[in-house]
Amino acid sequence: MARTKGSALLRWLARRIIAAALVVFVVTSLVFVVTHVFTDPATVSLPLEATEEHRAQRRAALGIDRPLSVQYWDFVSGLVVGDLGESFWQDQPASKLVLERLPATLKLVAGATLVTVLLAAPLGMLAAWWERRFADHAVLGFSMVSISAPPFWIGYLLIIVFAVQLGWVPTFGSSGFVSLILPSFAIGLASAGRLAQMTRRGIVEELRKPYAVTALSRGFSRSYTIVNHTFRNVASGFVTMTGWELTRMFTGYTVVIEVVFAWPGVGRLAIHAIENRDLVLVQAAVVVLATLVVVTNLLVDIARRMIDPRVELG
Amino acid sequence: MTAVDDGLPPSEGTNGAGAASGENATVMSDLRSHLRKSKAGIAGIAICSLFALVAIIGPWLPFLPDPSKQSLPDKLTPPVGWGGAWDHPLGTDQLGRDILARLIDGARISLLVSVVAVIIAAILGTALGLVAGYIGGRIDTLIISAADVQMAFPGVLAGLILVAAFGPSVWLVIIVIAISSWMVFTRVGRGLVFTLKSSLFVEASELAGASSRRVMWRHLLPNLVSSLITLSVLELAAAILSESAFAFLGFGVQPPRSSWGLMIQQGRNYITDGWWIVTFAGLAIAIVVLGVNLLSLWLQSFNDIAEREQIILERPGG
Repeated sequence: MARTKGSALLRWLARRIIAAALVVFVVTSLVFVVTHVFTDPATVSLPLEATEEHRAQRRAALGIDRPLSVQYWDFVSGLVVGDLGESFWQDQPASKLVLERLPATLKLVAGATLVTVLLAAPLGMLAAWWERRFADHAVLGFSMVSISAPPFWIGYLLIIVFAVQLGWVPTFGSSGFVSLILPSFAIGLASAGRLAQMTRRGIVEELRKPYAVTALSRGFSRSYTIVNHTFRNVASGFVTMTGWELTRMFTGYTVVIEVVFAWPGVGRLAIHAIENRDLVLVQAAVVVLATLVVVTNLLVDIARRMIDPRVELG
Repeated sequence: MTAVDDGLPPSEGTNGAGAASGENATVMSDLRSHLRKSKAGIAGIAICSLFALVAIIGPWLPFLPDPSKQSLPDKLTPPVGWGGAWDHPLGTDQLGRDILARLIDGARISLLVSVVAVIIAAILGTALGLVAGYIGGRIDTLIISAADVQMAFPGVLAGLILVAAFGPSVWLVIIVIAISSWMVFTRVGRGLVFTLKSSLFVEASELAGASSRRVMWRHLLPNLVSSLITLSVLELAAAILSESAFAFLGFGVQPPRSSWGLMIQQGRNYITDGWWIVTFAGLAIAIVVLGVNLLSLWLQSFNDIAEREQIILERPGG
């Protein structure tokens, strides 16, 4: 029995990895279509007054005077070995530029995830503990406000209050741990708001189930039952949701927050690349971020499977 | 492809909020009595109607200065309560333009872009969801795979690559928001069609010889309407936030036209001596999104379908 179970797990894992790779392939191909079929990188990267001769030179330099099929083959075979083309603006390999900025973005996402989890789990439990009482309504209020406010605005409010008025932390840049605090909160608050409500709802539902009612009737306190019994059963959903919040962070929040805090990450690099009309570099940043999203989804699936073995091998 | 009339009346709602004309009166009075009990619903409707009204009649409001009128001597006047006067209740920006007038002017672009984007996404997404759920087979696999890929490639990334390729424009922002939202309607619509497909009224009309098209449009679609409206309201909140983020990044409207996100982008260099520009522009976004979120919370509680609420609140991607 054990052996067949193990091989089923491996088959499931292999299928998930292949599916993830396929998604990355489709997404990068779509990016190729936009950047090569619908537009001309040479025209985009040159000023309007450039002559036809200049454009032809630039086309040759970028290798886009060749047939599309050849270019696509180059693009795909480059992807496999991590070559994402040359940045015209920086005169360096695009993949190198993006990977240099990646640690800063990952640090930011890690900080934001920490804020999210450390706020959401206790707030969710608190709201469930005092269901329909003041604390529950207060947590709901926090959630509604945090998901309604634009993260970049929260970022500026934090800067105005804590950096400009109080002078506790630097306004922008990445100098050590302290500078990570404000951007992490700016990103993490909305995620924490959503996750807290999900946790609350999960625990409230679990508390009505026989095992929780039994625990309560045996004299365990409500708080003990929530922390030690019901939260474990909500954990798998909690991990999934945290993973989804991570994908939101990689693809939306970090880009704007990096701009607000002048954080030297991939998102801000992409915005600068757009300002400098460097299509190759934008393409590289987008491919890397999309890959991170797919990898995160894969890791979430695996984590969920490990926490809750009842998750079906679909 | 002549549609055979199956002789059955268009289907009535199975979930209480059907679109049949005879039920309309009761549905409306149900909604009203439910609304009276819900403070969130009242607040949401009040906020949404106020902003919609202001966006529509904005240019004809009396006593408001021209939003693009510059006056350098008045630049960075603080709002009332912080040393300002009532000629500029919310203060002025770095060019001496009235903040309140610019907020009202910006409401038009911000809200119009979001509403149009959600309408496009809802129509496209629902149509695909209907086809995927009802026809099934390979078409279903194709559509649902496309939705999965879209989930992994959310709006901002598509926005980055499209703006880099085509340059910033309002239409581009509308398209980007629509393509980052259609799959939500597809997934929910498809899921609902799956549960409805085996209902008696669908089988009856199929047996009576109705074409797939007729079954989808006359019998299935009316049953999706209430859920899809709830979903649209929720997606509208996300769309307004996306629009503001794109405008903030400079992807959308260009100066001298105005939108809330653009006001924050322009005011960010003045947060030390003009905190009110960024603060009030963001507050406008936050309040309108809060209003839409409260409205959607109320609609969800009225529909009261727990699993759908989960799909709505806990979907991945931005």
